[in-house]
Amino acid sequence: MKFLHYIIRNALRSPVRSLLTIGSTTMCLALMMMLLSFLSVNDSVATSLRTYNRLIVMSSQGFTQPVPYARVGEIASMKGVKGTSTFSWFGGKYNEEPMPFAQFGVSADKIFTLYDEFNVPPDQVKAFAEDKTGCAIGRKLAEERKLKVGDSVPLKGDAYPLDLTLTIRAIYDGPATRDLRMCFFHWDYLNEELKKVAPNSKMLDNAGVVIVKCESADQMATLTKGIDNQYVNSDTPTRTQSEEAFNRLFTEMFGDLRGMIQNIGLAVVFSLIFVAGNAMAMALRERTTEVAVLKAMGFGRGLVINLIITEAILVTLVGGILGAIGSKFFFDLVDLSKYTAGFLPFFFVPWSTALLGVGASLLIGFLSGIFPAIRAAQLSVVNGLRKVV
Amino acid sequence: MGKPHSIVLQNVNKEYRRDEFVIPVLSDLDLVVDEGEYLALMGPSGSGKTTLLNLIAGLDRATSGAVIVHGQDLGTMSEGQVTRWRADNVGFIFQLYNLIPVLTAFENVELPLLLTHLSKKHRRENVMTALRAVGLDGREDHYPRQLSGGQEQRVAIARAVVTDPYLLVADEPTGDLDRKSAEEILSLLQQLNTEFGKTIVMVTHDPQAAQRASRILHLDKGKLVRDEQQISFPVGVAS
Amino acid sequence: MIPLKYNVRNLRVRWVNTLLTVIGTGAIVWSSCILFGLVEGLQHSLNVSGDPLDLIVMRKGSTSETNSGIELTKAEKIPTLSGVMRDDKGRPLAALELLNIPIVERLDGSRANLIVRGVDPVSSELRPNFQIVKDGGRMFEPGKGECIVSKNLTKRFKGAALGSELKVGEREKYRVVGVFSSGGSAAESEVWVDRKDLEQNIAREGITSSVQVRAASQADFESLRKTIENDTQFKLAAIPEVQYFAEQSKSSIFLKVAGTVIAILLTIGAMFAAANTMYAAVRSRTREIGTLRALGFSRTDVLMSFMGESVLLCSLGGIAGLLATLPLSAITYGTSNFNTFAEITIQFRFGPIVMLVAFLMTVAMGVFGGLFPAMRAVRMDVVTALREV
Repeated sequence: MKFLHYIIRNALRSPVRSLLTIGSTTMCLALMMMLLSFLSVNDSVATSLRTYNRLIVMSSQGFTQPVPYARVGEIASMKGVKGTSTFSWFGGKYNEEPMPFAQFGVSADKIFTLYDEFNVPPDQVKAFAEDKTGCAIGRKLAEERKLKVGDSVPLKGDAYPLDLTLTIRAIYDGPATRDLRMCFFHWDYLNEELKKVAPNSKMLDNAGVVIVKCESADQMATLTKGIDNQYVNSDTPTRTQSEEAFNRLFTEMFGDLRGMIQNIGLAVVFSLIFVAGNAMAMALRERTTEVAVLKAMGFGRGLVINLIITEAILVTLVGGILGAIGSKFFFDLVDLSKYTAGFLPFFFVPWSTALLGVGASLLIGFLSGIFPAIRAAQLSVVNGLRKVV
Repeated sequence: MGKPHSIVLQNVNKEYRRDEFVIPVLSDLDLVVDEGEYLALMGPSGSGKTTLLNLIAGLDRATSGAVIVHGQDLGTMSEGQVTRWRADNVGFIFQLYNLIPVLTAFENVELPLLLTHLSKKHRRENVMTALRAVGLDGREDHYPRQLSGGQEQRVAIARAVVTDPYLLVADEPTGDLDRKSAEEILSLLQQLNTEFGKTIVMVTHDPQAAQRASRILHLDKGKLVRDEQQISFPVGVAS
Repeated sequence: MIPLKYNVRNLRVRWVNTLLTVIGTGAIVWSSCILFGLVEGLQHSLNVSGDPLDLIVMRKGSTSETNSGIELTKAEKIPTLSGVMRDDKGRPLAALELLNIPIVERLDGSRANLIVRGVDPVSSELRPNFQIVKDGGRMFEPGKGECIVSKNLTKRFKGAALGSELKVGEREKYRVVGVFSSGGSAAESEVWVDRKDLEQNIAREGITSSVQVRAASQADFESLRKTIENDTQFKLAAIPEVQYFAEQSKSSIFLKVAGTVIAILLTIGAMFAAANTMYAAVRSRTREIGTLRALGFSRTDVLMSFMGESVLLCSLGGIAGLLATLPLSAITYGTSNFNTFAEITIQFRFGPIVMLVAFLMTVAMGVFGGLFPAMRAVRMDVVTALREV
């Protein structure tokens, strides 16, 4: 576009003003990225689980209700099932941390065949399976708490009336979309200990939820129905869903917070339209004569409007790219989840969200430019020129 | 038959409304300007000379009467058509030059060419020709603030002629210049008139400037009070 | 000192820029206040929930009722202890309560864990201002599968409206016969049913989650607490209700942190916006500044005048943003408590925290946004300034 360099020069005419507008856009879009990613990360994590062909069986009353341990074996023998594991939330306190990492009682010999996206050295898998008091923890958990194989992890019971002291036998690593701050231990160990202290506990023989790995994707639909039909008339009916759907449950629990966060994002865009629009209006007021000269020279209204809107978009786009793409790379380097004490297992800005941010900055630029542009285009040439003479 | 008519004004009236007051600026004006004439408009402040210039240049519209320039009745054209017409036919020279401060001399002169379909190469040739014509070749990369007033006005003239317009309009082109620079600018305009045959309409306060024109119109209170044809005018007197 | 009237006039003369800036900064203050209004609402709800004479009895080691479980044989002895307050009918104010947290669908189709509380007849007396709302039906009758629902939940969950059937599992369902309110306390996020009904429905005979007790006096409070905690027949945790809810309010830490991040980033963005407007104000008043200086006003006068104008401008935005939060108070938000995974409803509350946040933001953006433009005005050379067109 042959006018581009003129537009760029105009945008740079008052560098302080453009920088302040860019700064404003950058800060606000960085925030918008954080808010929207908070929502979209969960979605993209849930989606990424699609490929693993796993189902989660929970009580029909929800995951806080027990599923009998017998189900683990029964489901494992069903056609199309590759393997099953318990997945029972222990919820113990670790070193008085207000928000400790999550601990799960699992079928220790199976868990890493079900979670085959995790990388664990084979000797560690074996060591974990063989040590009843052993546990396997995620790489990030190990790094942040400076834990290594052989260390002991004391857990103080909260939901359970007992304490566990576990020894780290394995450290798993995996893709960025998986929680690398979990702690797996032997479900058998938990159940035996519980039997000792509370032989009548309702938590006894509770599998938590059952993780089911299917042999292939096409079996998932049949199994989902099949498992629930099997138990619909039992004392403890089940609800089976894909791991993806189970994960979405946690996103859904945000409830109105989701809408609220989106509203804040919208309010930020709205605010930026006015902030950038004000800057553009001020810039044009100082340039009234020039616009009149352009029009005298034969620049039509449409062209004048185009020039101004493009200038406005250029400024906010720079802010948008810095804010959106910038925060994408920033959060790729700095792992925010580390500082949320486990509240967020992962945090990154997905590309789709970053691009949405860039798109928002384009929209902000357009809307902030359009009114000053129309005003400038409608100004009579004679009046505009008279301002100088 | 003499030269074709360049500008024809028939019974032109122009009035402004300010609140409930109607302020007449031009009344019952008739004027014929031939092609290749160099017209100076003189008169006291508020006599309507700039308004007349604006009407001829297609920047403003008459309240009544016809303004015909280069065979086009400007009153019958739409806003967009007049704008387009200006781009093709009129070059502007202002008292305060009105160059774009963020563009170099070259880019300022190039600006009106961006409205044409000329290629980058052709644009460059035209700009350099125009700058050479005003004696500023070698200064094309300077910004307005790096030039003297006289030089700035020459850039403005180069910008006005670069599209090879039919008509040049100048509003007090020497009003902000010292005598020497003013003389240079006036010679340049004269040269454009005589050598390139441009019709020029110039508003000026300066009798010396007006002397360079081929015809001087005196306005007072919106009426033509005197129309002087200069019999002859020396070429390149001042240098 | 240059009178403030001068600044007021200037803001009025440049009303378009003033208005745009006010809307821009107002939207920013508004979006920052939202989460703090929720923090405020949550804390208010937890504050009114705790009565200084109330104890919550749970299994030792549990930090939340949702994790607790006490054998009925132990729990039933607690109302018989001496020192328990009695109501006007002579019943001891000690209620055994059983919690179930099934997954229930919200009206929008998303899912959440809803607290269904099985209560004793005196439970309602242990809650602040408990009442069946006007035209809200009646209290449930035991043994009939009836429930009452907090008015906050009726419009949020499927089947929670008066007269409809709330389905919380394959076979567990309750007819909604009443709608209650309880002075904005935590009970307003719950569904109440008869404890015995619930016990049967979820097959939890012989166990209860907690006992809520009110002591007759401060002295009784201490002795009751000692008895329950130390007596060998109990060995339970008796946590003062005030302390229990203070602990629960830690779950608002996420809202606080998120709110703070939002406020800080947006304030920086708004600072830039304010600075932009003030730079333009200084630029367009160069001659005036020169004149003022020539008249004998000092540099400090000019500095203070522009700073004052900036703060004034931002205050208008702050007030606009703050006022715009008022309508939010009419809305109840539902989200999950991420400690217990249970749905909580929060009423947006306009109070001291919200006002403090808006005030701090306004001052920060006014002062820092005005500082550099004001300094530019101060540094101006009087003679040059006067010559400026």
